[in-house]
Order: sequence, then structure tokens, then C-alpha cells
Amino acid sequence: MLLNLGQLVINGLLIGGFYALISIGLTMIFGVTNLVNFAHGEFLMISMYATFWLHKLFGLDPYLAILVVAPLLFLAGVIIHKLIIERLLTAPHHMQVFATVGLSIVLVNLALFLWQADYRSVSTPYSDASWVAGGLRISVPKAFGFFVALAMAGGLLAFLKLTPMGRAIRATAQDQHAAKLMGIDIKRVYLWAFGIGTACVGVAGAILTPFYYVFPTVGQFFVTAAFVVVVLGGMGSMVGAFLGGLIIGLVESFSGFFIAPVWKEMVYFGVFVLILLLKPSGLFGLGQE
Amino acid sequence: MKKRLARVLVLVLVAAMILAAGCGGKSSQGGEGQKDAKAGGEVIKIGALFPFSGNLAVLGEESFRGAEIARQVINGKGGINGKKIEFVKADAVDAKAAVAEAERLITKEGVKIIIGTYSSTLSYAATEVAERNGIIYWELGAVADDITSRGYKYLFRVAPRAREYGSIGATYAATVVAPALKKDPKDLKVAIVYEDGLYGTTVSKFAKSKAEELGLKVVAYEAYSTKSVDLSPLVMKLKEAKPDVLLATQYLTDLLLLWKQSKQLDFKVPVIIGTGGAHSNKEFIDAVGANEAEGVMNVGFSSLGVNSSFGPGLEDFLKLYKDKYGREATSAYPHVNYAGTQILFKVIEQAGSVDPEKIRQAALKVDLPVGSTMAGWGAKFAGPDTKEVGQNLNTSMIIDQWQGGKQVVVWPDNAIKPGVKPIIPLPSWKQ
Repeated sequence: MLLNLGQLVINGLLIGGFYALISIGLTMIFGVTNLVNFAHGEFLMISMYATFWLHKLFGLDPYLAILVVAPLLFLAGVIIHKLIIERLLTAPHHMQVFATVGLSIVLVNLALFLWQADYRSVSTPYSDASWVAGGLRISVPKAFGFFVALAMAGGLLAFLKLTPMGRAIRATAQDQHAAKLMGIDIKRVYLWAFGIGTACVGVAGAILTPFYYVFPTVGQFFVTAAFVVVVLGGMGSMVGAFLGGLIIGLVESFSGFFIAPVWKEMVYFGVFVLILLLKPSGLFGLGQE
Repeated sequence: MKKRLARVLVLVLVAAMILAAGCGGKSSQGGEGQKDAKAGGEVIKIGALFPFSGNLAVLGEESFRGAEIARQVINGKGGINGKKIEFVKADAVDAKAAVAEAERLITKEGVKIIIGTYSSTLSYAATEVAERNGIIYWELGAVADDITSRGYKYLFRVAPRAREYGSIGATYAATVVAPALKKDPKDLKVAIVYEDGLYGTTVSKFAKSKAEELGLKVVAYEAYSTKSVDLSPLVMKLKEAKPDVLLATQYLTDLLLLWKQSKQLDFKVPVIIGTGGAHSNKEFIDAVGANEAEGVMNVGFSSLGVNSSFGPGLEDFLKLYKDKYGREATSAYPHVNYAGTQILFKVIEQAGSVDPEKIRQAALKVDLPVGSTMAGWGAKFAGPDTKEVGQNLNTSMIIDQWQGGKQVVVWPDNAIKPGVKPIIPLPSWKQ
């Protein structure tokens, strides 16, 4: 039983690491621009396809592909921002919802059109590998994902704290009008924040590809959890997104085992509602309700 | 200015959405059917409602091809009672389109008979329209039990019901797997896992009740959502339950995820029987490889690997298919739909008319024993005072198994090709 508990904790933390990985970009975009990006899952899908094709056509290892996919997604984010998002930042929320949901549908259908609904996967020697220690099994690609999530959250925090652009982003997130008055080019800040957010999801996609399948609607499988994580962690908080991801992962793992697999989504939504009732701004919210 | 731009952009996006959703919605009419019509005199028009575009298009098209070959064969023999058959194709991308297309077939094209549908969701929607208009709906492939439990007068389903997947899986476990593992059925531990949609729930409910009826030990009965990205809790539960047989009703993604995570967490089981179809998918073996798939079984409604005595005429049909479409058939859908369409033609011939009432009477009189058509099925429809009006009661099913990267039939006995033996337990389990 003790062994089972240990395994459940490991499983929960590992899948939680993924939720964190996917949520970091989303929370970044929200925290700065106040825009809920409903096409976030589709950016994940695109980065997974990019990783898949890089592997298929050039034999590039998915982890090395991060070096290509993340800049690529940064670029895609910048273009989408210029074309669509920038014009919407001052628009009412429902318009932003329309636009990003529309973007999501367009991207899914584009993927269906280009690559069909087939399930594709990348097989690497470490795809199914596990470390076994004292009867506990740790999936290698998931453990890698966990550490990348950790590193990414840390790296982003450092970037926000230490670089001029990071400081400008934080200032804009706190008060865009004051930031503007201080001479910050907030248009450029928004552009960067969006690009960094999509680059993060690019990293997530590349990490995910070795052990999950790529298909046009894959984003929707992960994005619900990501939204829960972002709200739970306190919208816009990097640490919150990381810990929120781990919490959701653990809740899923334990409720799935002790109650029933079919209930695990319901249990984590239950926990989510409960936390919001007790602390409406989320675990690490900045106090704005 | 910004606001206006935003508004324009939203409009463009909405338009793009509509285009994206609707681009599959265009419908086409049976071109070849019309040519035939012009050549001959009187024709019998039949609506053919399948998903020809969108997600379900591949197997929808395969299903239609079976019916189309049946049409050509009968027209080659001079048609039914001297009348040629003509199909009017209708594209049902989703349930909404199925309803609209069924309405078009009935009101604009004036058909009295519709065949279809491959997908249960589409069938469920389209049959409602046909029934309301008093039009015959001849269901060839959709399996959800509920389709025939609504007491519809003009609906006939040749295909078996979903529940049979479950009960046949359990029966096979008790009668074949238990002796092969040298176990008393009472000691045979069965785990049932299923996706929590209508499909998985229905099949597994019947798998469980049949397993209990046969005295098997059901050690796990677990559902999960197909949207789940982590099935490790399920794998942990299965590891604890230590089943001898895993009965699983799944779609492809969740099957592949469960497969990977079982491997990662070292869950092994001597026998895996898919009750539904995902396990016999070509995509499944492509993803996991022939070595790993070796020995995995699947309950299905027919297979290309059946003995020719089980489904008479299959070899000739496959030749016709190859001649017409320029490649080998890759699934059982064409010949199953062919067989079902042939039964319809027989009924029309006996009715001597396309009047729905006369066809209904003729259909209720049909009595073909199991094994008399290429699909292995017979035909005898449940009468108007039963709970499942219009359901074919003489259906049959098969179980196939991956052996050396190919599907071979291992059940029932008369469907097995000479020399084929089931592999029990899985080679991967023995290691």
C-alpha cells in the first residue's frame, strides 16, 4: 500500500508538471494583457505538429526540437498578436472571446485540412522508458517534462525580475496606464508577453510529443486543465501556475485511484470550486477579486 | 477606429468559422446512379445517407462502397422486377446535417427508402426524420442499442446491437480463455474498462452482466473520460486487481494512452479482448507495432479474415471491390454494407413496390438463417409488438486476433480458417 501511495504521488507530480508547463504560457499572457487566450490549446497542437514534422523529416530529437519550435512559436505568437490580438486589447471581453475562440476553430480545421484526423506519434528510445527504484517507477519523458517546467518557471521569473524588458512587463501587468506614463512602450510589452507565452507553449508541445499523440484536436484535451490551473494559481502568477499544476495532478492521481478514474475530473473541478470559494483570487492571486 | 477594426476582424473570424464548419457540408448526388437512370426506363430511387466528409468520412465512404457494389451487381442482373436502382447520395457530416439531408431526400428527391449510416449518432438523428415522414430507413451499420428501442415502425436495422460486443467478449472469456489458461471460469478474474460515453457504457454494462451470469469474477469495472490525458490511476487500479482477462471498450486515443501507460507502469494481463473495434484498427497496430499487438483480440461484426464458408461470396466481393476502386478493401465495412443492402433488395423484390407499408410487411416476413449472407448474418426482424421493433435478431459476430501483424478470426469455430489457432496468453505476458 505504501508503495502504491508513493507511486500515486509520483504519477500525480509528473502529470502535474505537464499541466504546469502548459499553464505557464497562458498565465503569462493573461497576467500582462488581461486577455484569455482560448486558442492556447491550438498553439500547443501546432507546436506538437512542428515537433512531429521536425522529427519525421529531419530526424530531429523532440527535445532538441525545442530550440527550433520555441522560437517558431514565438514568431507565430508575434504574428498572431500583430494581426488579431493587438486590435482587440481595448475591445470588450466578449469580443476577445469571440476572436480567440474563432482563431481556435480556424486552427483546428486548418490542421484537419492539412494533416487529417490521423493520430501520429513520435517514437524515441526514451518514449516508454522508466527509472525503477525500490518498486517505484518514474517515466523518463515525464520526469524530463517536470524539470523543464521547473526550469522554465524559474527562468521566466528571473527574466521578469532581472531584465529591463522583464521589469517593463511586470510594470505593465501591474498598471498599464502608470507604465505608459513612465515611458514604457506598452504595445511592445504586449507583443513580447504574447510571444513569450506562445514560446512557452512551444516548449510544452515539444516535451509532450515523445509520449503523447498528435492530432488536430489534441489541444482541447489539455487546455481545460490548463485553465483550471491558471485560475487556481491566481491568474497571472507564475509560481501559482506551477504549484496549481502540481495540485491538480495530485488530486487527479489520488481521486482516480481511491474513488474511480471516471470521477477524477469531477473531483479536481470540485477542489477548484472550493478553493475559489475560500480564496477567490486563487492561491497566489494578487488580491484583485 | 480600433473598435471598427476589431469588429471587422470578429466578422471575418466568424465567417471563417462558418466556412470551416460548412465546407464539408456540401452534398453530392450519385452521379453514376443518374447515368443509369437515363439509360433505363423506370427506376427505384434510394437515398444513401453516410458521412462522406468530415471526421467520419473514411469509414463512411467504405460503408457506402459496399452498398454501391450491391447496386451495380443487381442492376447488372436487370434490376429489381425490371427496374434499375438509383442511389441519391446525401452527406451527413454531423447530426444536424443528417437531419437536413434526410429531409432533403424525402421532400425534394422524393425517395421512399433511405439506407445508411455507419455512425450511431447520425443514424439516431436521421431515422427520426424518416419515421416522422413514414419513410423506410434501412440501417446497415450503426450499432447503438437505442436506435431500435424507440418503437419506430419503418426503421429496420440489419446490423447487430452494441450490447452483443460485450456479451460475446464475456462468453469467449468463459468458454475459451478460461480453459486455455487452465482455470475454472469461477476463478477467472475479469477486468472491464470503458470510455464513459454512450458507446462504452452500453457495451460494458452487458459485458458485466454476462460475465456475472457466467460466474466469472469481475475484479474491476472502471470507466474513464476519453478526454483524460492521464490514465495512470486506472492502470494502478488494474495492477491491484490483477485480472486474467481485460475487456475494454475504447476509442483509439484512449486505447493508445492506456497501452503506453500500462507499459510504463508495468501492468500486464494474460488476455486482452477489445469489445468494440479500436483494437482491430489499423492505426492501433501502426502505433504499437506488430510485436506488441500480437495476440490482442477484438470482438467485431465481421472481418476480412473469415472463412469463406462463414460469409459466402466474400472472395468474389473482394475482387469486385478491387476492380471498382483500384485497391484492396481494408476493413469489414464494405462487405457488411453489401450484405445488408442485398437483404433490402430482396425485400423490395418481394414487396413488389416501394410503398413503405408494403416494404415493411415484406421485411417482417423475411427469415434468413444466421450464416446465409456474406456478413455471416441472417435476417429476421423483431415484430411491432416487441421492445426492439425492426432489429435484426439473426445477427452474428466474430472475434479476431492480431497474429504476425495480420487479423485472423478465432471465433466462432465455423468462421475460423483452417490451421488458425488462438494465441492465449499474450506472448508479451509470458516474458
